[in-house]
Amino acid sequence: MTEIQSTTPLVLVDRVSYTHWNQTEPTLMDCSLQIEAGTLNVLVGPGGSGKSTLCSLFNGEIPHLLGGKMEGTVFLNGVDTATLTVSDLSRQVGHVFQDPETMFATLYVEDEIAFGPENLRMNADEIRRVVDELLHMTDLQEKRTNLVWALSGGQIQKLGLAVVLAMNPAMIVLDEPTANLDPAATHSLHRLILELRQRGMTILLVTRELDDFLLTHADQLLVLNQGCIFASGKPQEVLLTHGMRLTHELGIWLPETAEIGLALRTGLGGELSELPFTAQGMLDALRHYGYLKDHLNGKPIPPEVHTHEVLIRARGLRYAYDAEFEALKGVDLEVYRGEILAIIGRNGAGKSTLAKLLTGLLKPTGGELRILHKNAREWKVDQLADHLGLVFQNPEHQFLTDSVYDEIEYSLLARGCEDDDERKRIIAETLKQLELDDCTGIHPFALSAGKKRRLGVATMLVGQPKILILDEPTYGQDKQMTQTLMALMEDIRRQDVTIVMISHDMRLVQEYADRVVVLNEGEKLFDGTAADLFVQDELVARANLRPTLLEEMLHRYLQSGGTLTGRISNSHDFIHALGLEVQIGR
Amino acid sequence: MADNGFQLQFKERHSTLNRIYPLVKLIWVVIVAVGLFIYKSPLPGAVAFLLILFLAAVPGKIPLRQIFGSAKLIFGLGLLLMIFHFFADPGEEIFRVGFLKITDTGLMQGPVFFFRLSVVVLASFVMIWTTDPRDLMTSLAKAGMPYRMAFTVFLAMRFLPLAQREVEAVKDAHAIRGKAQHSSLGHRFKLWQRYMFTVLINGLRKAEAAAVALDCRAFGTAPTRTYVKDVHFRVADLWLPLATVVISTLLILVERGVFS
Repeated sequence: MTEIQSTTPLVLVDRVSYTHWNQTEPTLMDCSLQIEAGTLNVLVGPGGSGKSTLCSLFNGEIPHLLGGKMEGTVFLNGVDTATLTVSDLSRQVGHVFQDPETMFATLYVEDEIAFGPENLRMNADEIRRVVDELLHMTDLQEKRTNLVWALSGGQIQKLGLAVVLAMNPAMIVLDEPTANLDPAATHSLHRLILELRQRGMTILLVTRELDDFLLTHADQLLVLNQGCIFASGKPQEVLLTHGMRLTHELGIWLPETAEIGLALRTGLGGELSELPFTAQGMLDALRHYGYLKDHLNGKPIPPEVHTHEVLIRARGLRYAYDAEFEALKGVDLEVYRGEILAIIGRNGAGKSTLAKLLTGLLKPTGGELRILHKNAREWKVDQLADHLGLVFQNPEHQFLTDSVYDEIEYSLLARGCEDDDERKRIIAETLKQLELDDCTGIHPFALSAGKKRRLGVATMLVGQPKILILDEPTYGQDKQMTQTLMALMEDIRRQDVTIVMISHDMRLVQEYADRVVVLNEGEKLFDGTAADLFVQDELVARANLRPTLLEEMLHRYLQSGGTLTGRISNSHDFIHALGLEVQIGR
Repeated sequence: MADNGFQLQFKERHSTLNRIYPLVKLIWVVIVAVGLFIYKSPLPGAVAFLLILFLAAVPGKIPLRQIFGSAKLIFGLGLLLMIFHFFADPGEEIFRVGFLKITDTGLMQGPVFFFRLSVVVLASFVMIWTTDPRDLMTSLAKAGMPYRMAFTVFLAMRFLPLAQREVEAVKDAHAIRGKAQHSSLGHRFKLWQRYMFTVLINGLRKAEAAAVALDCRAFGTAPTRTYVKDVHFRVADLWLPLATVVISTLLILVERGVFS
């Protein structure tokens, strides 16, 4: 057993390179880092930078379970993990997978938590005590006898956490736990993480998106790029030194306050020594340096792009999966030609059911639904597919061929594009537009997560739908690609195509949606603009939403007597309104 | 996630069949299967079919809609198998459809095979619908099966409804892609292949991830494990296999003409 002599951190990764068994290029390259006991560490990096692979180093998945070739050493409490068994390591480090459902081995919530301790041959009474305690901590008491696949996204993440905590580890690794959660579920999980840190747990949290919570509470920020640590240190230090590169070159989302702070720092010639991460902190800093005037000029409010032609009309729309579960309970809704409509709400609010009704995959069990001037019950799915596209959350489900090229060609053939030259031209254009032109011959299943999603969008776009529905359109995309995709959506909207996006990303909604519909427990709570929505505190809380930091800043600014003309829908607009001519991440 | 009512999964309905010891139900399925392979004529198979439908609907409290919804594919395959036997079995020609002749043996064997397939599958479904996989695993381990092996049975039952959901999701996603022009039978076959490919690949990925997750949760590291929840055998539960043995024996005796 190898031991290192100096004062040992809990984890020391020493010049580790790792190549997966089915790859030729290493995913991690000469990667070194250290993690102190009892700290909250945030690991951030663009898609494909090796974050998930790095997560597998700590509990022995690498080198014990995943095969592949590893060089370098990982020390846990000063002991080389290669010399420990997975069973020993599992008691020291718990890894919550990116999709915790794949970790689950039983049927019910309480059994799932008990499973690990049962394998460790803990006493049954002790296991019951642990289960009760963890159900209480994760607020899952009422769900204890529920099926694990009947939980919402936030509850699944909490159960994943409870499952690893049941093994009583010293450290937990959370791989993008908030990637697909509604804002309130994210907030709730954050609070839980903070509680664990206060109890002395060491935490490594992986994310693509930094928010005010993580930057305020993290003890260490680690930036991974192309398989090695690009920067590490206190969040303030890392952002002050590398903030511009993180957002410009690595495409990492920073909170709006950090983006505005970086612009302010540049505007002040580096005078700002600390970036405020909270909305009030940022406003105070702007006031202090004289940038926050009594009046802000936003960009002009664009004329209404959409017409008033109603393409979809729902009246008292209901859908029940069975006698016990009604997903939609009498929703009234209009969808206009040429608008970008965002449908938002907590996990399980009925958004995906509504999307399936709009595409004909489900038929209403009550009320009226007219799609393109025809009763929804009269539409067949394949006929409706000629007019309406849906990009699923899991794009793999949609793929039908063996190459990226064929996948797009299939959609063109389905819409009746018989001319070979025309097809080739459209395919080439689409591939270039979505930066897929370097992988035309690759099997769709072999693409990265981000490219799969773009291909899913491409297959629907070339079908020239009248209405395009996108379920979490930018999930897994970095900042640049999100902006490229949304610019594309705005382009096609200008061609009179209606975009309906289902999203948990409030920044996306605030920046791009003409209109927002909020669903909650199968009912419509709100129908209006994002700006009108986020000032209604009670409604926002009821729907498990949370205003963006930018919206919070604007709200506080207006409440303190400031005035605003025009529209500010992203941090770039805000920076411009302040008179700071600095480009941030655009 | 909603349960659409056609899932191949256990549901606690507080029924008589729910309460029977899992291992006893497993033995019952085996007895049913053995009986079916002894029957030589369609009548005992038909009686067994009706009895199992009755068992599922009354002591099992399973809605008929669910029974027929889940088993329709198997019944369809059973019908195809029956038709195949009508024409393929040797024997005396009863009548002819074009160049195809239907024989007396085929007419007798077709329904026999239909009932063999349908009844075995239906009995297995009844067990799945009424047995908590966790309890089955515990009862198998208590009967002396190594727990790692018992857990394999549990995992198979656990993943069945998930696979069914995956199939539904892929079907929906493919439907949205629309139909390419000149959609021929060959093209449909290709779509079917793709459909199976997607489900298989995702199934394999999930299995791989599940295997890693099990190792990380210390599964299989010790020769035994604790069970927080236990199941207990009751002698009264034996009514099901015993009644099945008696009925099957009677059917065989009637078929063999012992009472005539």
